[in-house]
Amino acid sequence: MDFTIRAATLEDCKDISRMILELAEYEKVPDQVKITQRDLEQDGFSKNPFFHGIIAEVPEHHKSREGHTKVGYSLYFYTYSSWKGRAVYMEDLYVMPEFRGKGIGKALMSKVSQLGLAAGCTQLNFTVLDWNKSSLDFYLKQGCWDVTSDLGYHCMRCEGDALEHLAQGDL
Amino acid sequence: MANFILRKAEPKDVSDILRLIKELAKFEEMEEQVVLTEKELLEDGFGDHPFYHCVVAEVPKDKQSVEGYTVVGFAMYYFTYDPWIGKLLYLEDFYVMKEFRGYGMGSEILKMLSETAVKTRCSGMHFIVAEWNTSSIEFYKRRGASDLSHEEGWRLYEIDKCNLLKMSSK
Repeated sequence: MDFTIRAATLEDCKDISRMILELAEYEKVPDQVKITQRDLEQDGFSKNPFFHGIIAEVPEHHKSREGHTKVGYSLYFYTYSSWKGRAVYMEDLYVMPEFRGKGIGKALMSKVSQLGLAAGCTQLNFTVLDWNKSSLDFYLKQGCWDVTSDLGYHCMRCEGDALEHLAQGDL
Repeated sequence: MANFILRKAEPKDVSDILRLIKELAKFEEMEEQVVLTEKELLEDGFGDHPFYHCVVAEVPKDKQSVEGYTVVGFAMYYFTYDPWIGKLLYLEDFYVMKEFRGYGMGSEILKMLSETAVKTRCSGMHFIVAEWNTSSIEFYKRRGASDLSHEEGWRLYEIDKCNLLKMSSK
């Protein structure tokens, strides 16, 4: 199937927002999405963007059942490893179910790697849910390794009241 | 000894930052993995588009470490993005030299970072901890941190440069 991979623009935020929700539904937590299309526009397309996006698009005659031509996306940003320097973090990777198995996911990830390497990055990091077997298999096939499993690193979060209390210096 | 200051790192600090990065890596038994150089730290942290931000803890000259250092702690962080909740502050490294622990430096550094997170309207602060590092885990849990790997099943994955090159050429 014919598809193109390109950098996301402000106009893509509507579809990105739609697909973010679809991905959250797939991960069984759609009520956790608080970010709006407007937030995405401000945070991704202003002078100092907090993320970058790439879109997978199909021609009109291949559009989805509901009429969408933007059928996949990836959101990424640059991070820093105190051991190795510049790194790229792939925050989201998603292809609509009816467009899977056609190499779109692989092409999106390949684009993120190209952009990362061009920016001087030596690693690509991301997280996967431990029950997501099909994604785990896909990633392992691309040569990834499980840092949590191999090095015992756990992802931690401090948010909401805990973050506020920490800022006040309360214990 | 409660005499220390916290300040934004400056270009002149890169030598101390690299020293402290290596000390922390040594504690994690990963010292040989540190390939970053002072030159890269300088370019990447103090150029037009910094890849990271850093705060350092400094003591007066008369309180310097046994080897003569006055920069005795640091935290390296950057901003990330969660498409569900927005901006986040990611804490990459956080370390205080052993001989300067127990004086509240770590707490003050974390307080400064969380103030930064709140001021820049971040929804949270993320970081990783090794599961064997129980004293650090307790330090963080006392401050309200939750273990996402344990509670939600998130696993951190990596693709190294060799495989990135393979992937980008497919």
